[in-house]
Amino acid sequence: MTNEVVKVQHLVKTYGKGNEKKFTALKDINFTVENGEFVGIMGASGSGKTTLLNILSTLDKPTSGEVRINQQDLTQLKGNQMADFRGHEIGFIFQDFNLLENLTAAENIALPLSLQGVAPKQIQPLVMKIAKRLSIESVLDHYPTELSGGQKQRVAAARALVHQPTILFGDEPTGALDSNSARELLETMSSLNRNDQVSILLVTHDPFSASYCQRILFIKDGEIGSELRRGERDRAAFYQEILDNLGTFTE
Amino acid sequence: MLRKLAFSSIKSRLKDYVVLFSGLVVAAATFYMFMALATNQDFLGKNSMLSANNTMFIFIFGAILLAIITFFYLIYANSFLLTMRQREYGMFMMLGAKTGKIGQLIFMETFLLGMGATLIGEIIGIGLTQVVARLLVQQMGLTLQHFNSFYWPAFLITLAFFLALFIFAAIWNSHKLMKTPVLKLLHSAEQPARAQAQPIWLAVQALLGVALLAAGYWSMINIALLQLLAIPFALVTIVLGSFFTFNATFIWLLRLMKKRRSFSLRGIRNFTLSQLNFRIHDYTRMLAMISILFALALGAITVGLGFRNDLSVLIDSFDAYDVKLYTHSAKIDAKVAKLDIKEQATYSYKVKGNQIYYRQDQLQDQPLYYFHYQRSGGISMQMPQRRRFAAKDYQISRDEPNGAVQNAYNQLGIKSIYGGSNLTGHLVTAAEFARLPGKTSQLTLIRVQDFAAARQKIAKIEQAQLAAAPEFSEVLENSKYANAQMGTAMYSGMIFMGLFLGLSFLAMLASCLMFKILSGAYSDVKRYDMLNKMGARTSVLKASVAKEIGVLYALPGLLGIIHVLFGLQLFKLLLLNPYRGIWLPFLIFLLLYGLYYWLTVTLYRGIVIPKVEIDK
Ligand SMILES: Nc1ncnc2c1ncn2[C@@H]1O[C@H](COP(=O)(O)OP(=O)(O)OP(=O)(O)O)[C@@H](O)[C@H]1O
Ligand SMILES: [Mg+2]
Repeated sequence: MTNEVVKVQHLVKTYGKGNEKKFTALKDINFTVENGEFVGIMGASGSGKTTLLNILSTLDKPTSGEVRINQQDLTQLKGNQMADFRGHEIGFIFQDFNLLENLTAAENIALPLSLQGVAPKQIQPLVMKIAKRLSIESVLDHYPTELSGGQKQRVAAARALVHQPTILFGDEPTGALDSNSARELLETMSSLNRNDQVSILLVTHDPFSASYCQRILFIKDGEIGSELRRGERDRAAFYQEILDNLGTFTE
Repeated sequence: MLRKLAFSSIKSRLKDYVVLFSGLVVAAATFYMFMALATNQDFLGKNSMLSANNTMFIFIFGAILLAIITFFYLIYANSFLLTMRQREYGMFMMLGAKTGKIGQLIFMETFLLGMGATLIGEIIGIGLTQVVARLLVQQMGLTLQHFNSFYWPAFLITLAFFLALFIFAAIWNSHKLMKTPVLKLLHSAEQPARAQAQPIWLAVQALLGVALLAAGYWSMINIALLQLLAIPFALVTIVLGSFFTFNATFIWLLRLMKKRRSFSLRGIRNFTLSQLNFRIHDYTRMLAMISILFALALGAITVGLGFRNDLSVLIDSFDAYDVKLYTHSAKIDAKVAKLDIKEQATYSYKVKGNQIYYRQDQLQDQPLYYFHYQRSGGISMQMPQRRRFAAKDYQISRDEPNGAVQNAYNQLGIKSIYGGSNLTGHLVTAAEFARLPGKTSQLTLIRVQDFAAARQKIAKIEQAQLAAAPEFSEVLENSKYANAQMGTAMYSGMIFMGLFLGLSFLAMLASCLMFKILSGAYSDVKRYDMLNKMGARTSVLKASVAKEIGVLYALPGLLGIIHVLFGLQLFKLLLLNPYRGIWLPFLIFLLLYGLYYWLTVTLYRGIVIPKVEIDK
């Protein structure tokens, strides 16, 4: 039980307040993510992936149901608690990097720590450590516009991980990368997962990215339709199975 | 269809449009109000201490300044409109809307918005002109004559000026939108990293900025030395100095702060500092301009109120006595009884032919008050001191009368000395006076506790005297009260102009800054969204916005205040003490400026701070 970092039960999300047009994006979602797991979420466009991620990261509130991260019931959080929760427990990587252009790579990475009130003296070594881990030490003084797409995404990953969050969320992080950079990033993520026990929840519609996960949940019409486990197979075999599954899934 | 789409997106940003529109309305109203004054020669001639021609020149100068700042203001307001709209229009274009059609649409939008605002502004301007004029008259005890709040030429000039500017803006907008590639319209939010200036060059500029400012301030203090040359010299050095100060000094300071990691790596500071660094770079010219305009506006208000302060002091020095009673009646005596009298003295006189006689003993019992003028060596204005003669000063002699006696002849005269009085004064003993043939007349000199407070009552006494004894009209028309009325009329034009120009400048410059800052808000949305996702509390984000904008407002304001403090040196020539009571205009000014700051922060927050949805 204590090993679950994410636990979602009977989650419903309906958009549209009052007499606006109602739209139920998530109908009845149930799943858990174990500590140290690398889980993928796949689904067609509009199936509710981003909606789910937003709720998991306290950016949006569920209409009903229970969402726990690291035993904490998210529905109980208020105002500042939500922000603090995001700051401490969650790391984000997005498709479009979302780096702040007027800060250098190092300053971008340091920001979550500053926001949490970590003493300035302790920040520098932490930034260096994560930068080494992601092999971006050489570009720390660069501004985002001076970085390649792959470098940007690794800086974003470093920023997401520098404060050692409970879980790392990725919303199509490879979406804007060429295949080589995408592969590098995925390798890094799975290595972080294996060697540093970082729990990862990755939203993607790309089977190749998904094949790096240990387990994949398929969302369809606001519900978890099916689930695939990689088990002891190698990545190529898993990739094949995902493709097969997507074929039947989308029919 | 497109028209409908465009309109629906206006609705979704109604708040920003309301601000933009009301900003334009205020600009038009202000412009009209000023033009109603500047083109109305009647008003100028009667209400200014300068001759109509001179005043016309000053007003035209003011009008040109106002036109220039209105022009800049419209540029900023327009760029706000453009940034607000370009994403949507870019989207329409991507959806296949014809460029020409989009161009037409933005042209119409800009033009209609502008003209609507101008017409409403003019109507409000007419009303405001009336209200403001009344208010000023009441509040300050001023007299404004020939003030017509609706004035055709002003109406037309304003209309033409704004029409021209908005046609220009509309063409500019449609041209700009049509020429910019669609992708750029959609992604204009991404800001490139700025080229960093060399630290040495930066330091040189920073020092240059401070040095130029110092030179400008020095020349204003030493206007006696430099004479008229001081003004152009100060203007050039201070404008350049302000520019360099913003371009380098402040950036240099920001960098120092950023470099001190123990300072910058706390909370959201580094982000705030970087935002500021970027902004100040981008705003250099504008901030420098604002600091100058701020100084001009605040200076105008301070000097305007300075004239007002002076007026009461000046009036007090017109005459040592507040009322002189040449004639008596029950009616007049009743009015005099209502005065809050501090001191009064009655003197007798007899007129025989061209000779007028006064009693020495009366003057010795109650010597007269007078004003003593010091000989001033400097260039500054100085006020005389109130003094009283001594009894021994009133000596009868055959020679030329001494100062005290001459003063008595003047103060107790019954014909104006300016009117070429041909009465010759004589001082005689009581016994001699009794021996003189003819009727004994009485003259009562009164000093009240507070002339300004008693002014209305004194007016009635003067009128009653004029009606009862027209033979004294010559002296009554030169009484302290009559002079006070004239002085007030002369100064009121200056005061009015100072206040009006100052306040309208303030409104314009603060709105310029506001729109410039708000124009940048849309490209900041993503950054604040990002910070929100990273777990920055809403309160932290709000504080960051308040600080960033606070610095952008404070720096030009602070520099402007320093400019004024030194600039007031120039007015030592015209004002008794330019620094007296300056807290009042400074306070008014800062309150209004603060109001704009608050409005900017509120609107900016509305645009950038992510809303955390809390329903259920
Ligand atoms: N704020 C909102 N208000 C109303 N409906 C919304 C809102 N956000 C999302 N939706 C709807 O909810 C559904 C799920 O959206 P969501 O963004 O989660 O999809 P997604 O799976 O992330 O798609 P994609 O792969 O394209 O990113 C969509 O049909 C969308 O129209
Ligand atoms: Mg999505």
